[in-house]
Formats: sequence, C-alpha cells, structure tokens
Amino acid sequence: MRPLQILIDGFAISSLYALGATGFTLMFGVSGVLNLSHGAIMVVAAVIAWYVAGDLAAGPYWGALAGVATALAFAFITYRVIVRPIQNSPSIPREEKEIFVLTGTLLWGIMLQEAIAYLFTNNPKTVRPLITGVVEILGVRTPINEILTAALSWIAIGLLWLLVNRTRAGKALLAASINPRGLTLLGFELSRIYWLVWAIYGVLAGIAGVLLGAFLGVSSDNAGTLTASAFSIVVLGGLGSVSGSLIAAYVVGYLETLTAYTVAPSIRTLPVLLLLVAVVYVRPQGLLGRR
Amino acid sequence: MLQSRSLRFALPVLLAMALLPLGVGGYILGLLTIGCYYAVFAMSWDLLFGFAGEVNFGPTFLIGVGAYTAALLNHYWLWPIPACLAVGSLAAVIGGLVLAVPALRLTGPYFGLVTLVAVLMLQNLLVLFAGITGGEIGLDLPDVLSIDETTNYYYAFGFMTVTGAILFGLSRSPVGLILQASGQDAVEAAALGFNVTKHKIAAFCISAFFSGLAGGMLVFYFSTASVGTVVDIAVGVNVIIAAVLGGRRTIIGAAVGAIFLVAAGELLRPIGQLATFVVSAFALVVILFFPGGFLGRLLQDGGRE
Amino acid sequence: MRLMRTSALTGAAFGLALAIPGLALAADPIKIGVIAETSAISGVAIPNGAKLAAEEINAAGGVNGRMIEIVEYDDHNSAADGVRAFQRAAQQDKVVAVIASYVSEVVLALEPWAGRLKMPMITPGAASNDITKRVHDDYDHMKYVFHGYLASTQIADAVCEGGKELLIKQLKMKTAVVMSEDAAWTIPLDEEYLKCLPAIGLKVLDHIRLSPDTTDFTPIFNKIEGLKPDVIITGISHVGVQPTVQWQQQQVPIPMYGVSSQATSSTFWKDTNGAAEGVIYNMVSAADVAVTPKTIPFAAAFQKKFGNVPGYAAYTSYDDVYMWANAIKAAGSTDPDKIVEAMEKTDYVGTIGRIQFLPKTDTFAHGMKIGPGYIAGLMVQWQKGNPITIWPTEAATGKATFPAFIKLPN
Repeated sequence: MRPLQILIDGFAISSLYALGATGFTLMFGVSGVLNLSHGAIMVVAAVIAWYVAGDLAAGPYWGALAGVATALAFAFITYRVIVRPIQNSPSIPREEKEIFVLTGTLLWGIMLQEAIAYLFTNNPKTVRPLITGVVEILGVRTPINEILTAALSWIAIGLLWLLVNRTRAGKALLAASINPRGLTLLGFELSRIYWLVWAIYGVLAGIAGVLLGAFLGVSSDNAGTLTASAFSIVVLGGLGSVSGSLIAAYVVGYLETLTAYTVAPSIRTLPVLLLLVAVVYVRPQGLLGRR
Repeated sequence: MLQSRSLRFALPVLLAMALLPLGVGGYILGLLTIGCYYAVFAMSWDLLFGFAGEVNFGPTFLIGVGAYTAALLNHYWLWPIPACLAVGSLAAVIGGLVLAVPALRLTGPYFGLVTLVAVLMLQNLLVLFAGITGGEIGLDLPDVLSIDETTNYYYAFGFMTVTGAILFGLSRSPVGLILQASGQDAVEAAALGFNVTKHKIAAFCISAFFSGLAGGMLVFYFSTASVGTVVDIAVGVNVIIAAVLGGRRTIIGAAVGAIFLVAAGELLRPIGQLATFVVSAFALVVILFFPGGFLGRLLQDGGRE
Repeated sequence: MRLMRTSALTGAAFGLALAIPGLALAADPIKIGVIAETSAISGVAIPNGAKLAAEEINAAGGVNGRMIEIVEYDDHNSAADGVRAFQRAAQQDKVVAVIASYVSEVVLALEPWAGRLKMPMITPGAASNDITKRVHDDYDHMKYVFHGYLASTQIADAVCEGGKELLIKQLKMKTAVVMSEDAAWTIPLDEEYLKCLPAIGLKVLDHIRLSPDTTDFTPIFNKIEGLKPDVIITGISHVGVQPTVQWQQQQVPIPMYGVSSQATSSTFWKDTNGAAEGVIYNMVSAADVAVTPKTIPFAAAFQKKFGNVPGYAAYTSYDDVYMWANAIKAAGSTDPDKIVEAMEKTDYVGTIGRIQFLPKTDTFAHGMKIGPGYIAGLMVQWQKGNPITIWPTEAATGKATFPAFIKLPN
C-alpha cells in the first residue's frame, strides 16, 4: 500500500510541477527569457482566485477564472513594461541583456510579492477546491481535488500540445524556438510570436497558481521558492525543452515525495539539489536539452 | 580620464564619510556600518560580473561560508576575532575554488545556476545541522567587534575603503583589462594568448576573499550569525541589485548602490511594509531607464568630455 | 535681604513661567518601541495591542503626567532587520523600553543588544527556553530582558495538562504522534512533549519534525496515519493554514491537538476555507473567556478598533505596555536599571492572568510564573467559524466536537 501511496501522491504534485514549469521553459525556448517573477505571478493568480471566490462570494469557478485572467494580465505587463524595454534598449549591451532581464523580473517579482503581502497579508491562502471529498483508489484514500489537480494539469498541457502542433501560430512558435532568425526570413513577425508565448505563459502560470492554491495553499512568501523550483526543473530537463521539463518535473516530484516518505520530511528538497548539481556538472544541457 | 574622474568623485565622498562621526549620531553610523559591509559585498560581486563577465547568483555562498566559519571558530573554540576572520576568509576562498573550478567550464545561465544552488545547499546544511550551527535561530557569539558605534563605523569604513582601493586598482590594472576582455569575448581573449580561465579563477578567489572577510566582520558586528543575515537568497539579491543600481564595471558604483539601498530602506521605514516595494520599484525604474546605474551615467559623461 | 527675596520671587516666577507651559503642553512623551513583523497576522497583533494599551493609558492621564508613545518597527521576520530596528529605537528614537517580536530567532538576536545598550525589553510571543536561560546564566548583562510569554517547556506542560482531561478522560485516547516544525522554539517543546505525554498516559508512537518550508504535507499525514495514533500533537507556528487544509482535504481521520499559532488568529477560518473545524490549539487567553476581568473588554475593544479578534500576541503586548508603564511609574524615572528593578517586582493582573516574574535564581529567570492563580493556558477549538474554549472545564464555553471524517477511539 505504501508504494502505491507514494505513486499517487507523487503523481499529483509532479503534474502540478510540470504545469508550472511548462510555460517557463517554453518562454525560454522561444524568446530566451528566464522570468524570475514566475513564482510571484502564480501567487497573484492564487490569491486573486481566493479573494474573488471567498471575499467577493463569486464561487470557485469565477474565482479560478479571475485568477487565471489576472495572471494573464500580469504576464502581459511583465513583458510590456519590463522585458521588452530591456530587450529593445540600445544602451544595454547585448551580452548583458540576460542579467538585466533577470534583475528586472526579479525586482518585479519582489514588488508583486510585497504588494500581495500588503493587501492580503502573508498568511497562506487556500483556494476553495472545485470538488471536495475523497475516493478510495485500491485502498489509498485520495482527495478528489488531488485527482482533479493532476487531470487539469494534463488537460492544460495537452491543449498546449495541440496548439503547438496543430495550429499555424503554434507551428510558428515551435519554429521560433528552433531558429528565430530563419522565421523572420519567412515573413513572420517575431514580436507577435513573443506576445503569443507570453499569453500562453500567463494562462499556464495562472492555472498552475490556482491549482496550487487549491491543492496545497499559497502564501506570498512562497514566491521565491516557486520560482526556484520551476528554474531547477527546467534546468534539469534542459533549458527550452518542454518534454525535458515534463520528465524533470516527475523526477523532482517523485524524488521529493520519496524522500519525505522514506527518509525524513525535513530534508525533502536536499536530494533534488544534489541531483541538480550533479546534472549541471556532468551534463549541463540537462536531460533533453540541446546545445 | 575615467580613473581621474572616478577618483575625483570618490575622494570628497570618502573624506566626508571619514569626518561623519563628528556630526551625526550613533544610529546613522550604525546604518552606514552595515552599508559599508554591503558595499564590500557588492564591489566583490562587481569584480566578478562586471569584469570577468560571470553572473554569480550566489554571492551569499561566499559570504556565508566566510561568516559561518568565523562564527563557529569563535563560538566553539573562542578564537580571537582576527584569527576567526583570517580563517573565515580563507574558507571562503577554498569554498569559492571548489565551486568555481568546475563551474567555470559552464557558460551562460548554468554558471549562475550552480552558484544559486550552492547557496540553497549551504542554507539547507546549516538548518540540517542546527545542533552545531544554530540553524534558523542563529549562532550567538561571545565576542563583538565593538559596542561603540563610532569604532564600529571606522572599522567598516576603513575596511570598505581599503577593499575598494584594491578592487578598483585591480580593475584598472592590466589584469582587469584582461578580465574585461575575456568577459566580453572569451574566445578572442584566449586567441590573444591570455589564459582566460586562470584569470577568472583569480578573480573568483579575490571576490571570495573579500566577500568572506566582510561576511565575517558583519557577523562580529551583530555578534550573531544567522541565515537571514549572511546566507539567505534575499541578501544576495540585494547585493546584485546594489551593484547593478550603482553601475556595473565601476566598482565604486557598487559601493554607492549598496549604501543607497541600506539608507533608502531605512528612510522609508515610516511607510512600514511598503518600504521594500518602493525600493524595488525605484531600482526597477533605474535599471529600465538608466541601465548604466548612478555612476555609469556620471562616468559616461566624463568619457565624452 | 529684600533684594534677595525679590530675586527669589523672580526666580520662582520664572520657574513657574517655565513650568506652566510645560504642563499645558505635557512633558515629552515616554516612548516604547514595538518591533514585529507587520505583514503577518500574528505579527501585526503586537503593535495593535500595544497601541490600544497606550491609548487607554493616555486617556487616563498618562504616566506621571507624560503620555505613552508607541514607535513601530517592522523586522520583516529577520534577525538583522530586528537588530537594526533595535539600535534605531535605542540610539535614535530614544525609547525607554522595547516590546519585541513573536519569533524566537529574532528575540535571541536582540537579547545581547538589550544587554549592551542597557535597553529594557520584553517579548510578547517568542517561546524559546533560551530567552530566560540566558538571563539566568548571565544576569548582570541580560537582566534587561523579560519573557512575556510562556517558554516552550511551559507550553508543552499546559498542552499535556489539558490533554489529561480532554484526551485521556473524555476521549479515552492511548497513543499519539508528535508533529512539530523544525525551529528553535520546538526543540524544548518536543523534549517536554516526549516527557509529559507518556506521563499523562499517552504513548508516543513517533516524533516527526518537518521543515518550516514544507508546503506538501501529504507524505507526513500518510506516514502518521500508517502508525494509527489516536491523536496528532502539534507544535507548529510558521506553518498552519496549509497543514490544516490538507488534513481536511485528505480527511485524515486523526484529530490535531496542541500548539498551532496561526490558528489563534481570527482570519484562520477564512484562510483555511473552514478546514479549521475541529482543530484544538493552546492559547493563554481567548476572546470568549474571562480569564481575568480584563480579558473580554480588551478583546471587544480590540475587535472594535481593528476589526478582528486579537491574535495571541495582542493580549500579551497589551499587558506588556501596562507593565512597562507601571514599572516606570514605580521607578519614578526612565533609568533602565531602575525600570528593571521595578519590573521585577511586577504583580499585575492583565488579560492573560496574574503576572509575576520569576527571580534570577530560577531557571526561567524573568519568565512568568505559571500555575493556578497565575498564568494557566486554555485549549481552544475551532467550531463552525468560532474559537470555542473547551478547557479548563471551569472556563469552558463548549465541548469538543469533531468533523465527520475524524475517527475517535471507540
């Protein structure tokens, strides 16, 4: 029963990690941006969902929708106000754009985090789950919300896959991640692709944030940790590789769950860090990264 | 030209700071004391980033190793402060070497990631071995640099001035130029016959030495070593923001940025929790609109003259 | 002679002239510094409780004709920010006493500075045993520090004392698992739990320490459930909402009982979407129990002013302001050594009980005297959105009830 329990619990948290990291890695693949306000945007989505569903009494569905919409809005703001001006700035040398984008999004993330703490306090919030109650899976009592979290994560990832592989805009996106210059030669406007990738990113981060809020609960203090965990997963899987980060999310999720069950809950994250160092030293491009 | 302009800016400021204890109270001195230590953190970081082109996301790994080594020696074996500081900074250099030698093979975000992970590991280890390190509670030390604010201020101020002079001199020396060349185009620099890796490792060691020493001194100023003061990612983030805010590649700018951040955080204390928000917003505006930072602009104008 | 009298009169008149405007404008206020993490609910309760006390004292004429002024500092839950705030309070703002933080880490970092800067200080909420142990070990330097909250060991004892009635007698429980966060204050807490729980007749099956950064508690609850204990004894403060919500979502059939600081705040119910139902936690005072005649009026005034029920540190910080004010009154001066001397003689009935400080010879030097007639402690349970006191029996306003998914022995 224990192995099954680990299997089930690890699956839910891993699916959520996968969803959180997908948008993050897609954005790096397409536009070379590592968005360090990622965790803060997830927190914003969760807290808005909590607020709209509870304080405004709009119910969990409207709450979730409001959370995702807010994340989308903040993704656009992040791009328009911080990332794009840095990318287009003539006074920042090209080799330093990266550190500027990192510093800029980091500061932006801190601002969002502080604003949430100011308006809603840094107490953790939990979004009311869409469905409550538990079911027995082969003797393991599992909350329906946990199954729902995993299912919704995979539906979102599946829709992304369809978008990328079955639509024209999606194919352009994929092409941009392989060779942006070639794409401009074909007459695509890169800026429109960037907007598209930020839109996808915003929706994915929003869904991930709301689901996290319903599954585990979220505090503004978690913003940094959330960014760091997305960052680690993405590096483990290979920067820019979506399938790599999906696999990495499961490696991280299960390694953490296994450690918490079999060793001690207090060192949950340590093996992941060790693995990360080992991977970066031995195979810096990550599991499925290309170089 | 650049040099003389930097000096013309730095000397009067330093002179004013040296005379400050005559005019202001203990509290402002205490604030500036912390500012001076942060200034050393930021200048050390700038040497590595601005000149060697390596983005170290984990300045607090070096700071923390130096600080905790010094603190543990003082707490358990009651070593005198200077000995603790010496061994602490040595430990930071060794820690830096262990981290840097393999990591310098990596480029781009990977080097940054390793440094970031190094901080997380250090933090985890400190908490894990809480019985020895004091964990989150921190380690209180029997010794303190001084309880007199003026004395503390002069320690920190003197330390910052000496460090600043060394790092600034280094950055303007041939070694600094090689570093800068290899930071901008490592392949070309190597083609010119310079041993890029060797220079970068040297830069890392120097950065580690001063970071570790400053970390140790900060710990003895508070007479408490805690994760939140010398290891936490947030501290490292402040160091990076300070350096970028003040102006990369200027060394002096990093110091200005650091003191500014500490002072701004305090001046804004009346608005309470929003202080961090305002400081971050201000820093964001500076890097968006004046990417050269405070000093970048000043020195750039000088270049045009 | 006449000349002298004239000059004496002139002098007196001159003196009066100086003194009268002084009286009219009131003398300089007495400043008390309050250092806390203001973005946290338990944190902001500290300055709020203090401000309420200061207002009342000032409305009643102040202390020796001087008004009390509360100077607030945010420590962002960081020892360094705390030390900086403390230095500012002492050296720049010239406060005469400090009320500091509910986080042991911060208080322990401030403690040596209280000694160095000779600044009387009291903590309204930190629990580490080391706070008073340092006073005991190095009285001459550390005598400026008072502990205005129970030490961890004392809290564990109160939890066990309540358990004797609630868990053993009423619910016939036999086994327990201790679940605490890895932090300074829980080390002595757990040590005492492991001693006092078996003493009241609860066998401790396991002792789990979790990282305060934990967000996913599923593995922990599953592990505990596998051991089949009758009750989970908690020692949590940095975490609270998340484990509670996950406990309810996963329908862990074991009640949670013990220390849960976040549960003491009135927003806990909303933050957990009602998952708090059935959680039992320790408090020194509750809004619905007349621990002393002052408790309920204070809670009502607090709720009226700030819109929520006071968190645990609000009661203590409110009392702390009164005790500083009384000590300053008794000392007749703001000299730190005299304030400390007067504070040691405190015998004050506050909102949390009758407060006396233990002498320097006691292991808990400058800690509060615990026991019947002094500070006792309550066990409170969240029931349908309200915190209901269920122990001690004479103060109880309700009986323990649990949500349907909880399986009690028999």
